[in-house]
Amino acid sequence: MQALDNALARVGSVVLGKPEQLKLALACLLAGGHLLIEDLPGMGKTTLAHALARVFRLDYRRVQFTSDMLPADILGVSLFDPESGEFSLREGPVFSQLLLADEINRATPKTQGALLEAMEERQVTLDGLTRPLPSPFFVVATQNPVTQAGTFVLPESQLDRFLMRISLGYPAPEVELELLAGGDLREAVRELRPVIEPAGLVKLIAHVGKVRASRDLIDYVQRLLEATRADDRFAAGLSPRAGLGLLRAARAWALIHNRDYVLPEDVQAVWPSVAEHRLQPREGGQVAAITQSLLQTVPVVRG
Amino acid sequence: MARIYQVPSHARGWLTLAIIATSLPQLSDGPWWQSGLLLLVLGWRALVDRQRLALPGRLVRLVLLLATVAATWQSYGRLHGPEAGSALITALFALKYLELVSKRDAYVLIVLGYFVCATILLFHQGPLAALYVIGCLALLTASLAGINYSDTHARRRQHLGVAAVMLLQALPLAAILFVLVPRVAPLWNMQLDSGQARTGMSDSMSPGQVSRLTESAELAFRVQFEGQAPPPRQRYWRGLTYSYFDGTTWRQARPPGWSDRDTVYGGRGPQPDWYRDLRAADSGPAWRYRVIMAPSQQRWLYALAVPFTDLDGLALARDLRLVADAPVTGPLSYRVRSVPAAGAGATLDGAERELMLSLPEQGNARARRLAGEWRRRYRQDDALVRAALDYFRQQPFFYTLEPPPVTGDTVDRFLFDTRRGFCEHYASSFTFLMRAAGIPARVVAGYQGGEANGDYLQVRQYDAHAWSEVWLDGRWQRVDPTAAVAPERIELGLRQTLRNLGADQDGEGGGAFNRVPLLFQLQQWADYVDFNWQKWVLGYRQDQQRAFLERLLGAVTATRIALALLVAVLVTTALLALLVLSRRRDDPTRPLEREFRRLRQALRRRGLELPEASSAAVQSAVSGRWPGAATAAGHWRRYFEYLAYRLDQEPSGGQLRQLARRRRALLRALGR
Repeated sequence: MQALDNALARVGSVVLGKPEQLKLALACLLAGGHLLIEDLPGMGKTTLAHALARVFRLDYRRVQFTSDMLPADILGVSLFDPESGEFSLREGPVFSQLLLADEINRATPKTQGALLEAMEERQVTLDGLTRPLPSPFFVVATQNPVTQAGTFVLPESQLDRFLMRISLGYPAPEVELELLAGGDLREAVRELRPVIEPAGLVKLIAHVGKVRASRDLIDYVQRLLEATRADDRFAAGLSPRAGLGLLRAARAWALIHNRDYVLPEDVQAVWPSVAEHRLQPREGGQVAAITQSLLQTVPVVRG
Repeated sequence: MARIYQVPSHARGWLTLAIIATSLPQLSDGPWWQSGLLLLVLGWRALVDRQRLALPGRLVRLVLLLATVAATWQSYGRLHGPEAGSALITALFALKYLELVSKRDAYVLIVLGYFVCATILLFHQGPLAALYVIGCLALLTASLAGINYSDTHARRRQHLGVAAVMLLQALPLAAILFVLVPRVAPLWNMQLDSGQARTGMSDSMSPGQVSRLTESAELAFRVQFEGQAPPPRQRYWRGLTYSYFDGTTWRQARPPGWSDRDTVYGGRGPQPDWYRDLRAADSGPAWRYRVIMAPSQQRWLYALAVPFTDLDGLALARDLRLVADAPVTGPLSYRVRSVPAAGAGATLDGAERELMLSLPEQGNARARRLAGEWRRRYRQDDALVRAALDYFRQQPFFYTLEPPPVTGDTVDRFLFDTRRGFCEHYASSFTFLMRAAGIPARVVAGYQGGEANGDYLQVRQYDAHAWSEVWLDGRWQRVDPTAAVAPERIELGLRQTLRNLGADQDGEGGGAFNRVPLLFQLQQWADYVDFNWQKWVLGYRQDQQRAFLERLLGAVTATRIALALLVAVLVTTALLALLVLSRRRDDPTRPLEREFRRLRQALRRRGLELPEASSAAVQSAVSGRWPGAATAAGHWRRYFEYLAYRLDQEPSGGQLRQLARRRRALLRALGR
């Protein structure tokens, strides 16, 4: 799809050398899922989130999570207005279309939980009053690898709320040269012109659901899920919700590749970013390696 | 208490169908009220399902039950016995459907259904009946599968599939049980009356009786010979002998004071003298054959003279024929060895000789005079017999199925006035003449001839025949006066004879037999199937089983049978389990998957193992190994992916063939 290609190209002009990750991030967006970027500080996570917001002209907020943060700092507070004699809600940063939750694992579990609940419900309840979040609503959360000091590990149940987890990684040397030689990236992001309006994005998201997944393909997805459950290198297998997410992400991936039907390659392309963060290895296992190996062992076509 | 409906609706369809199918045979045999009852139950049930009616209360059920019992009593005069019993159980089976609420009721109903299936086999034992019962079992099992599906979206067809698989898996076990489980003599004597008048020989013969039989093409029995069958003129299947004549009717009889012990020997107890004498003469050529007999409701069996058999429950009678211990109510199969020469061992003693010469005090004076004349002229018995046959041959006697009725002195009237008759007239008057001339004689009734079908003979009711035996040279000799009058009856059989006799007999004699060639062929073929069914399935009784097991196990002991059963069942179950367990969940079940497997296996034969089972892997692996085939691989992959992932429905047959063509093109490209 031309517009999607343009959007990718524009984001790519500020996040250099990471086309696959950009596509995954875009697919996550199109699949209507939330994205978790796991990386060391300074790898371009914020730039990516901001650039995505720009090309879709999304209302963008950024929250830097800290350990002293309270749920109200994200959701908002009810304030008593002495003049009208009524309570009114002061909306927190969650009332945006694209929320960048920076370093989410620095906040306490309580605060993390408040955000994740809002992500799942797409609404916020304060003092018994339920308010819907804007549409579309995306959370791009970043987190430092858990080995870093002063972090609260996101529990598995919370990780499941993120459709994908990606990491950007260090740039390749030639890309880094270009980066260092180039101008101010922050400036460049601010100057990115939108490609697709939010309404168009909503339509695209609806369209993703219509991308055809044939019975053979669904069989394959099911076999993959089954394989994670049968594999005793994992503590537990993928949930049906993960399966639905995998299928949805694969549909979005197919749409990005301008197809109205899903191929097994689409599933395989999104597989690591959808599956890895939901799987816990038994002692000593390498999740990434095991997850990847399933793609080799699970037959795409039975026969 | 609120009743929760526990039997899913998708299972109920099968259950209803199973109930109808299982009841049908009983409905067609039984009294009318059974059909009414089933319709009532089904109608009521349908209204309940549409919530128009409630299930019957306790009182209504009680009334229905009592009415059913009363109606059974009314129809059969009793509640026990095979007919009344199965009628009652079939009716109760239908009634139980009105009580179906919980899953437990459904189980009871289905188990009852299996039992009703077994009762069907009491009355119908042909191959078609067996197929029908298997169908009923499938329906019942499908219902059973259905009520155990919790999934409310389960498809009806699925249940039948489950049932079919279960029945197939049960088949080897059923076969083993069939072969190995010892056949025991029935614990009770199952007397199937049901008033169905059987055609066939009766224990007395009066004029017109045998000719009535010839109107029926019903099967009497089948015979399979080991080796060559005897020629038609020797195929005299003896069933009964009549030795008492009251002037009109010939009857079975034995000398006064004799009992079964004197005339029948069944292989148990000390051998009587007459049996030992026969055995002593048991030498020379023999016919060995198996007779498969239709139920006759009579005790006598049919065999060539002199029949010996080892089968329990069969006995040799002093008049050189076989009798069964009990009336033949089901198909019966028995092996016989007939030794014509053994007839030389027969004896004829005082009381018996007297019986074989006995005639009514008076009547048929002309015949007696004729016999007296012959006696004066011929001193030798054999010369007299020849003269008598010549008499039949030379005087204008006619062989006809429609003899004019004779009354009074039947023998005289036939011999001297009407001279038109059927075999019983000839046999009766000939035997009369012989006795009047002082030669011991009797009438033998049975069948003569038989048509070959495949490797066996069919003997039908229209082959019924009567002939004479006279005591000559110390043994019973067969004399068939009918053969003197109408030799073609013996050589060619009745049907051909009647055809030759021409127009005046048109449509008579075996008239039920359709002469359209195709139909005839079909009938012969159906008979062939039926024959083998009778022989191998129904005929697999004590004697055959013992013979088979002896060959299989060496000796037939309870321990060996038990061991064989155990081993066979264990092995079969293990094999079945292995089959089920070895079926990997990944095994391809759909056409596209099978097509993929074919390609994958073909590549494997050429030494290419795919790194993963996918169409993409096919293309990259093939292109990497055989660059020349890259294009063909691409073609194949695109089409495969089109069918597998893009197409909105399952691929059509044409599309699958197209894919197969691309597969072959790809494989051809590898060769280049």
